[in-house]
Amino acid sequence: MTHVVTDNCRGCRYTDCVASCPVACFHVNEVRVYIDPAVCIDCSACIPACPVHAIFEEFDLADDQQHWIRINAEAAQRYPVIRTRLAPLDGADARRQQLGL
Amino acid sequence: MSTHSSETLVVRGACPQDCPDTCAFLYHVEDGRLVEVTGDPDHPMTRGGLCVKLKNFAEHHYNPDRLLYPMKRVGPKGSGMFERISWDEALATIKSRWTDIIAEYGTQAIMPHAYLGHQGTLNGLTAGDAFFNRLGSTVAEKTYCESGSSTAWIMTVGPTGGMDVESLAVSKYIIVWGMNMLNTNLHGWPFVLKAKAAGAKIVVIDPVRTRTAKQADWHIRIRPGTDAALALGMMNVIISEDLYDHDYVEKYTLGFDQLKARAEEFPPERVSEITGIPVVDILTLAREYAGTQRSAIRQGVAVERSPGGGDAVRAITCLPALTGAWRYPGGGTIEMPIWEFPFKFDFMCRPDWIPPGTRVINELELGAALTGAMPLDPPIKSLFVYNSNPVSQAPGAGTIVEGLQREDLFMVCSELFITDTAKYADILLPATMQAEQLDIMVTWGHLYMHLNQPAIAPPGECVPNVELFRRLAKTMGFTDEHWDLDDWDMLRRCYDWDAPVMKGITLEALKEKGWMRLDVGLPDERTPHATGDFRTPSGKCEFASSLAAGGNFVVPVWRSGYEAMQPGTSVDPVPNYIPSVETMLPDGASAFPINLVSPKPHAFLNTQYANEPTQQRRQGEQIIVIHPMDAGPRSIEQGSYVRVFNERGAFEARAEVSEDVSPGLMMTNVGHWPGLNRSGTAVNSTTSTRHCNLGQAGTYSDNRVDVQRV
Ligand code: SF4
Ligand code: SF4
Ligand code: SF4
Repeated sequence: MTHVVTDNCRGCRYTDCVASCPVACFHVNEVRVYIDPAVCIDCSACIPACPVHAIFEEFDLADDQQHWIRINAEAAQRYPVIRTRLAPLDGADARRQQLGL
Repeated sequence: MSTHSSETLVVRGACPQDCPDTCAFLYHVEDGRLVEVTGDPDHPMTRGGLCVKLKNFAEHHYNPDRLLYPMKRVGPKGSGMFERISWDEALATIKSRWTDIIAEYGTQAIMPHAYLGHQGTLNGLTAGDAFFNRLGSTVAEKTYCESGSSTAWIMTVGPTGGMDVESLAVSKYIIVWGMNMLNTNLHGWPFVLKAKAAGAKIVVIDPVRTRTAKQADWHIRIRPGTDAALALGMMNVIISEDLYDHDYVEKYTLGFDQLKARAEEFPPERVSEITGIPVVDILTLAREYAGTQRSAIRQGVAVERSPGGGDAVRAITCLPALTGAWRYPGGGTIEMPIWEFPFKFDFMCRPDWIPPGTRVINELELGAALTGAMPLDPPIKSLFVYNSNPVSQAPGAGTIVEGLQREDLFMVCSELFITDTAKYADILLPATMQAEQLDIMVTWGHLYMHLNQPAIAPPGECVPNVELFRRLAKTMGFTDEHWDLDDWDMLRRCYDWDAPVMKGITLEALKEKGWMRLDVGLPDERTPHATGDFRTPSGKCEFASSLAAGGNFVVPVWRSGYEAMQPGTSVDPVPNYIPSVETMLPDGASAFPINLVSPKPHAFLNTQYANEPTQQRRQGEQIIVIHPMDAGPRSIEQGSYVRVFNERGAFEARAEVSEDVSPGLMMTNVGHWPGLNRSGTAVNSTTSTRHCNLGQAGTYSDNRVDVQRV
């Protein structure tokens, strides 16, 4: 099992999650982050850290969100590890409001 | 206590588990109900997060299967048929049965059985010691884990805390030796990552390509039980290439010439044959390790789980003195910093109450002790189990089950749930969970004192262990002052609050802050052994141990404070490589061709939480990991159900075919409840009750089996 980052992360990239992860298993591209399932130890420390509720334990994913398991696993191979917090993307706050969070 | 919203009360606590991280808890309570347990974000180790095992800790307190009242057995032994009784009836039954047993067989016919199901000062490992010593029972040697490492550590460097895990952050070369830190010491890992970000090299020595091994810069696969050979091989290279710290060795070590002679017996070629590690890797490891000043070794408990495990820990513990790594912050080795805490074991365990000549029985030999395979006079007529679950966790589980079925054995068990062991009890007593009791947590992985304060009332008639033993003492008519002390009085007397390391730490301050660091220096500056100061008889790091003259011993904390009746078998003053009994048999010499290792599970803490459906989902069922070369000829495929067996027993599991293990090696996890498994058994049905060469520890990794598809 693992944890996965879903679509809410896109365009925000608040990286509060990264700072709370004890094993540095987040990977980052220009618009969002992904979790490497081979490294994630399922501690859930990142879930409450994310201001836009983007992160779920695999078992808690809704049926229409299941594809994120594969997307995270594949993207984690492609993009570099991120160990420290970045500034949110421009427009992150707007997107957060748009998500009603 | 403070309130962070109008209804939620936040109470400070700490994790009760046998895990080196001892996390700082925040209990969130609404209307007297525990709604959530979170990690303290301000604690330097916990950093706000707990772990997968404790994720549903609040709900665990309300598990509908919890044992809430005393019960008596009303069906055949092991049937699990119980009926509620009052505490008065339970205590009266115990008194009457014990009085009869004592009259006929003497007090030593009663044996306690405990381990670290709880890690508190009042309610943990030693909770029942004072009571059973006062009763005059057989002394139980509790050597499930760490006892071999404890003896080895004390023989080499004495009861020192050694390196602080937080100091890893300033190390330049880190060897994680026999530990899957990401699973079992995860709050230590951020310090490793910090060192890595600053350029440190991370090396993992492990027979299995674990999650931790995958994160390392270099994973060295070692054959289980051969760690001493690798450490001696490193010394061979370090000494012959003159990479050692002459000045440090001269001033602060004892027995260099003897160690040198021993290391000469282990040239890299021989070590390569023993360990399965290529010669070039042994050379590189030795040179890189010795060539880095701030080099650290994080030792895991896996090292001791083989017949030569004690000497392996001694050999590894010699390395930083040979290279002088102790001179530098971030240099040295971490085994278990528990020795830094000023416990008053004489008060906690009351060894002064042990009648002279009292016998000792090792808990890992429980099956033999109960079935008569071990000749005993008097025989064991009553067993009192608390904080432990031997049917799952002790080796040779089949014989233990056989012994527990004895109709004439009066068994009492204090538990949270009716476990595979508890179901054989005649009387069950309900124990509290962590949010319901007061304690100072013992920790073996960092240097903080933690006070756990009760956040909710105990449900039903559950009592903390400390209260259980007070009740038993009164029942048995003991009138000593000890049994009149309340929890706070006990805590005051369990520690030397005036010890230098306790500067600024008081119970009152702990009540408010929850946790405080011992006054032992800061992690990035600390060099506890820069100028020797080892706590051995010589004050030096003893390559040739002066304590060896007294023979093999178990550190008294693992045996109710008892100093007498030690095993006393002969010990070589200088660490040596002692081959495993089963693992190292040549091909064809055993009917069982595969070596099985059984580390801790990811989502359970030993057996705890393994009865929670959410945790079962996270952990998955019992699996074995098997190499394709072993799986193929047996027609075992990914997901096949298999039977793992040897002459001692068998269990069933689902196969995962993977190159994470080497050919000839399989891995499974200990902790699944046998009764919840397909076969009704688990891995300890196959393990042997042999001991490691030091401290009577178990040899769970020296286990030959075969496997077939079912
Ligand atoms: S905190 Fe949430 S939104 Fe921000 S990077 Fe992490 S997952 Fe994405
Ligand atoms: S669950 Fe834990 S390990 Fe996994 S990504 Fe979140 S913080 Fe990291
Ligand atoms: S089991 Fe270990 S890591 Fe998990 S909460 Fe307890 S102390 Fe922390």
